[in-house]
Amino acid sequence: MCHPARPAATLLRVSIPTREALTERVFQLLRDEILDVDGSFTARSNLLEAGLDSLAVTQLMLSIEESTGVWVDESLLTPEHLESAEALAALLYEQLSGA
Amino acid sequence: MRGVPPQLPAHLPLTGADCFLRAFEHEIRRCAGSSHSSQLVLRLGPGFDAGIFTKLVEQVARAQPIVRAPIRRRLGVGPPAYCTRAAARRPLPEVAVHDSPAPDAALPARFAARLNQPLSLRRGELLRFDIVRYAGGAAGTDLAASWAHLLFDGAGSECFVRWLDACFRGAATPEITPDPNELAPAERPERSLRERGEGATRWQRWVSALGDPPMRSLAGPLRRTRQSLRYDVHTFSTQETARIVASAQRRAGFLTPMLFYLSVAIRAHHAVFRARGVDPGSFVVPLPVNLRAKGAAAAVFRTHTSLLWFHVPSSETGSLDALLAVLKQQRLDAIRSGHVENGVYAMDFARFAPTRLYAHLARSALRGELCSFFFAYTGEFLDGLDHFLGSEIRNGFHVAPVPPSPGSCIAMSLYAGHLNATHVFQDDVLTQREREIFAAQLREDLLA
Repeated sequence: MCHPARPAATLLRVSIPTREALTERVFQLLRDEILDVDGSFTARSNLLEAGLDSLAVTQLMLSIEESTGVWVDESLLTPEHLESAEALAALLYEQLSGA
Repeated sequence: MRGVPPQLPAHLPLTGADCFLRAFEHEIRRCAGSSHSSQLVLRLGPGFDAGIFTKLVEQVARAQPIVRAPIRRRLGVGPPAYCTRAAARRPLPEVAVHDSPAPDAALPARFAARLNQPLSLRRGELLRFDIVRYAGGAAGTDLAASWAHLLFDGAGSECFVRWLDACFRGAATPEITPDPNELAPAERPERSLRERGEGATRWQRWVSALGDPPMRSLAGPLRRTRQSLRYDVHTFSTQETARIVASAQRRAGFLTPMLFYLSVAIRAHHAVFRARGVDPGSFVVPLPVNLRAKGAAAAVFRTHTSLLWFHVPSSETGSLDALLAVLKQQRLDAIRSGHVENGVYAMDFARFAPTRLYAHLARSALRGELCSFFFAYTGEFLDGLDHFLGSEIRNGFHVAPVPPSPGSCIAMSLYAGHLNATHVFQDDVLTQREREIFAAQLREDLLA
């Protein structure tokens, strides 16, 4: 879902990555910039258990917006989407593809 | 350095958020003769041993000088700091044990009275406990931990309780090694001094703009009056709470239920203004943001927060869902603008300012007001901890402090399937009738 304050979001879009690239990007953002995790954190680790909270999710969404130009409304998220970086990336890919 | 664990420096500077709270502390002492104290309450079942608890507190205080460290500016300049070297000469935290014949649904009056008794930061009076035993403890015990708000934030106080319990069970020792975040709150990404300065300036401009249109709190602008805080605890049944939690998640999203609770709190305050026939103009409310590193070991001491400010014209409080939509948008805009980080930078720079100037600046943007009211939602309280020192925890919650102006604060949390909404207020700010109006609106919106 595009953010209402960004009606021209799709015009600003830089590029929509492939699903695999998006998964890798989400995983890297979480591991390197948002979460304080050790080497055991993988793309299949549970994000809530790893400490992801509302602020972190918003920061992640803003990073995604920065690289794709599309805002994904965080209210679309359910606990299932935060079971792993893979699951989250799947939702993002679905939203970005449909934007 | 005798008595000081090697991990803690002799002078541990306060964080920016600590200094923010220290400014309140000084202002309340100066204008209201009291302190900015927080409280955590545990309502316990039978079997709690006050003697064991007292001994445990002594062990922890001897091992962790920060809990009784005088707070001063080093050589009168620079940011204020915990003087951990001087802590060993300070008294241990007070543990007062009282007896009462029978348990009561209402909390002991001495708990609220504690909030109005001054602490001396300069003398290291930072933490104390009140224990009320019913029938010698056989019928249960109420425990209140009261502390200078800058010693712990809400999350830190829960970490402290968990740690005490872990020490009791032998799962931890009083000589814990401070988490690195204890010494320097997590911050990422790194910013240059210039970037921090620019961010702090942007934050200051943002906060200054909150005064337009003007707002007023229930208490009105800063006044000299003796602090006389009381509180009402509204506890909802498990059935009601399940309904409330589902409603909060459906309306605000499962990650941001606090916005639902904040909407409800704004409307409860507005109901009182309506009953008075007064238009507050707008509502200005700060929301604490937990800045602990996501997923890192929890920092116990000091406050690790920034503030997100919300500013809503009173005309937009008519519908709960419309108000919620405004708050969601404002939260997103503030995070997008970097105001979470900017707030940290601003508070860090202000550490060097004289305390009175600090408090003056905080109020000058809002014509003598600080905000409409204080609000906190801390989610699950002591999540997963159902016993404390071997005694069942029947209920537990936070009591957040508030200066005589704005005079009203509401803190919400969940324990064992119950929502607790603790409304703290200055005694002369709300009449009995207004307290009933507030509670009725709160209940109506939560269960809407």
